[in-house]
Amino acid sequence: MNPSENKVVVSVQSVGKIYRMGEVDVPALRDSSIDIHKGEFLVIVGPSGSGKSTLLNLIGGMDRPTSGRIIFDGKDISRASDAELTLFRRLQVGFIFQFYNLVPTLTALENVQVAVELVPDAMDPMEALSLVQLEDRADYFPSQLSGGQQQRVSIARALAGNPSLLLCDEPTGALDIETSRQVLDLLVNLSRNLGKTVVLITHNGAIARAGDRIAQIRDGTIASIVRNEHPTPVKEIRW
Amino acid sequence: MVNRVLARKLARDLRHRKGALIALIAMVTVGVGIFVGMSGVYRDLDGAKENYYRSNLLADFTVDLKRAPEWTAEAVGRLPNVRAVRSRIHQSVLVDLEDRTTPLPGIALSLPNDGHSIINGLMMRSGIRFSHDEAEEVILDRQFAEANHLEPGDRIKVLLLDKQHDLLVVGTAMSPEFVYLIPPGGGLAPDPAGYAVMYLPRKFLQNSSDLNGSYNELVGLSYDTSRRALEDTLVLIKEQLEPYGVTNTTPIQDQTSASIVQDELDNLKTTARIFPVIFLGVAALVLNILMRRMTAQHRVVIGTLRALGYSSGTITRHYLGHGLIVGATGGIAGAAFGWWLQGAMVGMYRQFFAMPGIDRHFHPEVFAVGCAIAMCFALAGAFRGSRQAAKLEPAEAMRPPPPEQGARVLPERIPLFWNRLSFQWKMIFRAVFRNPFRSSVSMLASAVATALLVASLSMYDSTYYMMDYHFTRLFHHDLTLSLRDPEGMGSLSEVRGMPAVSYTEPQLDVMCDMSNGPYRKRTAVTGLAPNNILYTPLDSRGNKVVVPATGVILTRKLAEILNVGVGEQIKLRPLIARREQVMAPVVGIVDTYLGLSAYCDIHYLSTLLGEYRTANSILTRVYPGAFTLPLMEQIRRRPKVIGVTERLRALQQVQETIGDFMGAFFFITVLFAGIIAFGSMLNTALVSLSEREREVGTFRVLGYSSGQIARIFSGESFLLNGMGIVLGVGLGIGVAHLLSLAFNTELYRYPAIIHPSRLMLSAALMVLFVGSAQLIVFRMIRGLQWLEVLKVKE
Ligand SMILES: Nc1ncnc2c1ncn2[C@@H]1O[C@H](COP(=O)(O)OP(=O)(O)O)[C@@H](O)[C@H]1O
Ligand SMILES: [Mg+2]
Repeated sequence: MNPSENKVVVSVQSVGKIYRMGEVDVPALRDSSIDIHKGEFLVIVGPSGSGKSTLLNLIGGMDRPTSGRIIFDGKDISRASDAELTLFRRLQVGFIFQFYNLVPTLTALENVQVAVELVPDAMDPMEALSLVQLEDRADYFPSQLSGGQQQRVSIARALAGNPSLLLCDEPTGALDIETSRQVLDLLVNLSRNLGKTVVLITHNGAIARAGDRIAQIRDGTIASIVRNEHPTPVKEIRW
Repeated sequence: MVNRVLARKLARDLRHRKGALIALIAMVTVGVGIFVGMSGVYRDLDGAKENYYRSNLLADFTVDLKRAPEWTAEAVGRLPNVRAVRSRIHQSVLVDLEDRTTPLPGIALSLPNDGHSIINGLMMRSGIRFSHDEAEEVILDRQFAEANHLEPGDRIKVLLLDKQHDLLVVGTAMSPEFVYLIPPGGGLAPDPAGYAVMYLPRKFLQNSSDLNGSYNELVGLSYDTSRRALEDTLVLIKEQLEPYGVTNTTPIQDQTSASIVQDELDNLKTTARIFPVIFLGVAALVLNILMRRMTAQHRVVIGTLRALGYSSGTITRHYLGHGLIVGATGGIAGAAFGWWLQGAMVGMYRQFFAMPGIDRHFHPEVFAVGCAIAMCFALAGAFRGSRQAAKLEPAEAMRPPPPEQGARVLPERIPLFWNRLSFQWKMIFRAVFRNPFRSSVSMLASAVATALLVASLSMYDSTYYMMDYHFTRLFHHDLTLSLRDPEGMGSLSEVRGMPAVSYTEPQLDVMCDMSNGPYRKRTAVTGLAPNNILYTPLDSRGNKVVVPATGVILTRKLAEILNVGVGEQIKLRPLIARREQVMAPVVGIVDTYLGLSAYCDIHYLSTLLGEYRTANSILTRVYPGAFTLPLMEQIRRRPKVIGVTERLRALQQVQETIGDFMGAFFFITVLFAGIIAFGSMLNTALVSLSEREREVGTFRVLGYSSGQIARIFSGESFLLNGMGIVLGVGLGIGVAHLLSLAFNTELYRYPAIIHPSRLMLSAALMVLFVGSAQLIVFRMIRGLQWLEVLKVKE
């Protein structure tokens, strides 16, 4: 399978982002372009502060670029209204954070329900939990789960709405090595076995080698995009 | 010495929470304002009263009698506990004014010409005293004069006994006897234009009242003015004057005007205590919640400060400073509001009470106490948060707080209920049950606000109900013609024959002494015609009371005072005519709201007087829309008629007096309830929003709109406040009943009227308050920089 022959889901075209902090302009991202293909596992790697999160947030419709265009399904989401962006996030994007961001007063199952509530063709929340092998923890509260389990709940939550894109911002950043491996394995399998489009950002070069393509980001711009003909199996990655 | 940096931090913290703090300060302001305003008014009014009563020598007791020779007054003056007495003439009059169709009822009181510092002395407002003791001159009550545009130099026609006199108005004056003038039997409110109080030269009034060398009223001063002492003294006086037909003895505590003024002062005192406690109490609870949230948020800062060497005492003082600022700001604003309120209420009392010197005075001690109370409450509110901050050990404080624990809550034990809930409601229920203190405060505040609305609306309705009951359900006549003395039924047919009259009914009102063992009361007994239709006392179920041929029917309050029930007997002695004591069976009990009436058959009562079929007032109906001028002409020509009152005019009079006042009262209540409700709702909602900003961010990422998120958040508010409102409705109904019990006086009583529509209105107003607080929360959610919130590490 050659993912590059697949359809382009999102096309990022010369995107730039400048944050205004009072009097100062902070250029976080400049002139970055990349196409994301259906079903691929794309890893964006770069040092801390290089603009990875900024890019991911723009792709996920959480923020608008200062310049350039982001085309999803033929539409420029950088010019969409707040309501359109909300709808975009609701139906097309599943987001996974470093710190899980689960609602502490909801059980695992209920946290997944939060995501399916608004989506017409969503999965059954229990089914989503079983994809991450947590159906036996459905009634646990986040504080009763380990970090890895919490991250798996957040993955189930992201999956449950059947999004076109899974966006993962340092999903293993807060986890120990063994747990990180499990989470990464899970994400890779989602792409390989279920055909999900996954974009993962990390500052860890070792993790990057699991990707189908690896984009290097440095100083707020995409410096290189490399096709990884032989992605390293997660089991063999050395942290 | 306050640390400069910390002081600056304090200022910034406060600015950061502007909206919530303003709402909180508003609560303190109202609490302090009510305290300062009402305590100030209390002092002003009490001071004015004391001054007025003292300088014009308001009588401590009054004795009415038929006719006693002048020398007997001196003998009374020698009785123990009698400091001084003055004898005077007290006479009913009818006044004929050019621009009025109806002759006005009134009283004339004699005034010695050399009267300086006499008992019940006058305060002249314009004009001069009489030229001599027999002059055909009159000094008018100032309010009556002003209401009827009379001035010194004018002349008025006054009917005394059966002779009309053309009197020269020489002056206007006011008297401490009539600070609040309710015409005898005249309901609730003063009617300055419709009831004439006038003062005539003593000798002239004696002559024209057929009381040469005599008097019929004694006013006096005592040393010991307690009710008990006065009553003992009055017993002695009564024995002394027994041969002269004592008809009434009144200690100052029962004097109509004085007791109304005293009741008002007592109410002011109570209100000045209860309201501030409610407002400051809720404010302290809300501040408590706010401060605990603030110190939790400042955790890392506190840790850093402690690591830098700031003592826990400094930290405590820093956070108590927040409370101090709320207390001080609220205290100062409250003092200003109170000063305004004091002015407004003083103005109101000036209209209600004819009394000089009702002025706003500055009472520094009231302001000091008001501000001190505000400080105490605010410090109490900030105390827990400050302690919590000071207790944080630096090392522990630098670490992030332990993550919030999810846990099962009470309603989850009922799976049938719980499993039906959406995750939104599960979140809401968990939040409610996991913050029991905050939830209780929210509920309490809206319960208090709702109860305030319900009780005020009920009071409003009760007042109108009482008026309506008295004027339209008990009475169905148009005019009451009062006769000087009980007359035979001939006068009835005489009135029946007058123009425009469609129906008449005789009535006989006689002051009587009633007693049952040690319980005694003097009050008027009303003799009603058989098959009465113009005056129909009602029983507790609202049915017309049928007056049997013998026995008396008592008002519930009177039955309580006499400690009798239906079937028992009381001693009854009329104070006029034969004055013979009989045993009368109590044959019924009725509910009336004004006065202490008793009813019996008119013939039964006549017989007790030793007469046959007499009446001293005639209730009259006129044909609808009939021209009444000729009728009034005829009435005017009959000296036996000493007064004409129009029922609807009296009702209108009362409604006008009370209406404006009640309208303002209602507006203020809604404002106050709004401040409590809004202040607490906004604060608790903002605190819980600030705790859950991260959840808002998560929901936004998941594709929830700000409206959808706001709905989840407002669910909590509506749930808590909804329960608070339900509790508050119950509480308000309870308070309304308590108030109706508390205002159970001999002068008036009122039922607790609770209309379901008023409960709905209260609830609707509360929902409006919740809704507007939620609107602010919604705007905060919409404006929240949620992406930034998520970028911050937990
Ligand atoms: N809201 C913001 N305001 C100002 N600067 C920001 C904001 N968000 C990110 N930045 C800056 O933009 C740059 C890129 O940030 P980010 O995309 O978060 O980097 P990364 O995820 O690669 O660590 C950083 O210098 C960061 O400080
Ligand atoms: Mg980042």
